Amino acid sequence: MSWVTVIWSMIAAVCVTLAGIYLLVWRRNHSAWANLLFCLTAVSVAAFAFCELRMMRAETPAEFATTLKWAQVPVWLLVLSLVGFVRLYLRAGRTWLAWMTCGLRTLALLLGFLVGQNLNYREITHLRHILFLGESVSIAVGVPNPWMVVGQLSLMVLLIFTADAGVTAWRRGDRHSAQTVGGSIVFFTFVSTVQSLLVFWGVVQAPIVASISFMGLVAVMGYELSRDVFRASQLVGELKESKDGLRENEHRMSLAVDAANLGIWIRDLARNEIWASDKWRELFGFTPMEPLDLESILQRLHPDDREALQQVLTKALAGGGSYETEFRVTLPQGGLRWISSRGQVEFDATGQPVRVRGVSRDVSAQKQAEQETQLLRREVAHVGRVTMMGQLASALAHEINQPLGAILRNAEAAELFMQNASPDLDEIRAIVADIRKDDQRAGAVIDRMRGLLKRQPLNTRALDVGELLGDVRALVRAEAVARQVKLEVEVPGDLPPVCGDRVHLQQVLLNVILNGMDALNGVSRGERRVSVIALLNGARTVEIAVSDTGSGIPADKLAHVFDPFFTTKPNGMGMGLPISRTIIEAHGGRFWAENNSSGGATFRFTLPIAEEVAAK
Amino acid sequence: MTLTVPTVQIVDDDPSFLTATSRLLRARGFAVKTFSSASEFLAHLDSDAHGCVVADLQMPGMNGLDLQSALARSRNPLPILFLTGHGDIPSSVVAMRSGAEDFLEKRAPKEKLVDAVRRALARDAQEREERTRQRDLRARFDMLTKREFEVLAHVVQGRLNKQIAGDLGIHERTVKLHRTAITRKLRVQSVAELTRLTDEAGIFTAPARTFP
Repeated sequence: MSWVTVIWSMIAAVCVTLAGIYLLVWRRNHSAWANLLFCLTAVSVAAFAFCELRMMRAETPAEFATTLKWAQVPVWLLVLSLVGFVRLYLRAGRTWLAWMTCGLRTLALLLGFLVGQNLNYREITHLRHILFLGESVSIAVGVPNPWMVVGQLSLMVLLIFTADAGVTAWRRGDRHSAQTVGGSIVFFTFVSTVQSLLVFWGVVQAPIVASISFMGLVAVMGYELSRDVFRASQLVGELKESKDGLRENEHRMSLAVDAANLGIWIRDLARNEIWASDKWRELFGFTPMEPLDLESILQRLHPDDREALQQVLTKALAGGGSYETEFRVTLPQGGLRWISSRGQVEFDATGQPVRVRGVSRDVSAQKQAEQETQLLRREVAHVGRVTMMGQLASALAHEINQPLGAILRNAEAAELFMQNASPDLDEIRAIVADIRKDDQRAGAVIDRMRGLLKRQPLNTRALDVGELLGDVRALVRAEAVARQVKLEVEVPGDLPPVCGDRVHLQQVLLNVILNGMDALNGVSRGERRVSVIALLNGARTVEIAVSDTGSGIPADKLAHVFDPFFTTKPNGMGMGLPISRTIIEAHGGRFWAENNSSGGATFRFTLPIAEEVAAK
Repeated sequence: MTLTVPTVQIVDDDPSFLTATSRLLRARGFAVKTFSSASEFLAHLDSDAHGCVVADLQMPGMNGLDLQSALARSRNPLPILFLTGHGDIPSSVVAMRSGAEDFLEKRAPKEKLVDAVRRALARDAQEREERTRQRDLRARFDMLTKREFEVLAHVVQGRLNKQIAGDLGIHERTVKLHRTAITRKLRVQSVAELTRLTDEAGIFTAPARTFP
């Protein structure tokens, strides 16, 4: 067998094989159009190689001419498939150039069948035999067809189109594809065009061997595509890995979310849709399939918490962005659940809220612990009050006996007056009025005591400082008299009301005043003084200072007076001041102690001014 | 103003109780005067006023016990009776030791109060009489001369005129004259009466009255 037959048959065979492979690839993945186009390119190259071989082996000019005419069909297919391949593979190229290439080539194809013997020759006069690769092959001699220009023009436009697409892809950053695909198409098309030009216009005496350079083109394209196939399989592997990773992450996340008892939700504001995880639905008492909207969720909330949550949401959507809030959920199966919810609003470029994402957590146990702590604190405070009332008991008994004694004496006097023949009615009227007044006085003492002995939670409201200190003064008046202590209370008339709980603040004041009195035990009678002064401290707080004229607090003990169980008294529990500080801190105030420069100690605490007043 | 009528003077810082107590005691026929503090009472204290004091034990400023000691040091140590809102044992012990007439709770039965007031008034009358008598006796003894005192000291020891004359180195007749002057000045009839009066006045027993 000759070299020519071997080489051209191999070219055809290789091309057909590649075409078959990539046809299969395309059949597996119909969206990979580049593979189909490559397949067409390879088939057309194979067909063209076959035509070339036939021409080299042609016995008559007619046989040569017919083969050359039909060879235009694979060329047409080749050009069209290349245009398509460039467009798809490089994702570039001007459309009008593409159409122009295809149009010119199609025109060339039609001309080949309509004008002259074929596109290249008007007429092939005879065949000449030359030596090629060590054997004799036929080449045509005849009149060149001027319409051949159309075909060559189409190849030039193809070159420009490909070069342009290559440049675009290069600029875009696809340097490798631009170099190999763009570069090789330009190069091999250029080479085969020049060769055929030289041959057809009779400059060079040689057979048409364009299929060799087209073979190179097919090889480069095939290599490129195989790289793609390889990369795709690699991607599939990676994707699978990352999918596994994603699934693993998702798994871990849901484990963490479940472990933390977190419910996740997303609210799409544009579509007015709410998606929530199963855990979230469980937290709020929704079944997994139940449709969700804001209204149905709000309905689940404890009525007292609805408005607060709506305000929080409105504020977050209006630009606040994120929020954190707590509320109670009333479960349909009964019972109450405390939920802590955090949300993050996502805004679009124009600042419009798009969606809200968030997590909700069951904090019932925490709340319960908090409530228990509060209850315990309340109990401790109550014990503190009861203990204090014990201290005050004898003075308070005196305080009650005073009006009761007056009532008794008045009643006895009235009885005696009425035994007169003509009783003095004015006197009796005055007595009755006094009895009523003293009864109220005794009742007030009992009410004050009962108020302090009651077990009650912190109930804050606006309190007049003068009234508060007046009540406290009434409670300790008798004790101060018994201990020969002068109690001074100073409240400016224009002091704004504070926000606080009457009973608990009375407790704090009593505690500090009694401590002050205790500190005066060693002081001479004329010097025993406890003064309570209230004053405005800044725009938002009132400061109350309780000073004594005792010996003050030793410097090393000053830091410990608020420590639980720290006491300097023989019978002290050391709970009074810690309880008092807890109460003041629960009011949002501060509590501290200091020594006076003139001797004695001062305990100071602050209280917030009642909101409605502070707001003015 | 001189109070010849025995008056109950009530001191209490609680105006309501003050009025009520004064009403009751007036209804029971006592003359009553009220004061809202110990210092007010002491400022108005008449040295001749008869009667008694009814005071609250616990008062701001000067308390009941302070009033008691101030009163005891005054020229008119009226008997004092304490009222208290609640029984306070240490205070009551101090008060009673210092000679308080009584120590009553504010809501004590009225008869107890009235009785205590009566007792205090009676005691005041008695003590006042005693004080008057003492003053009278002292006035009489004050009239004696130095020599007459010396003679008296011997007489109450039961010594005879002769012995006295010997001891003092004077004539027996002079002793007789001194004795006559003593019985006249002290307005006594017999030696027995003279001895009793001397004891009563505590002339030779009270160390404060040692003759200069």
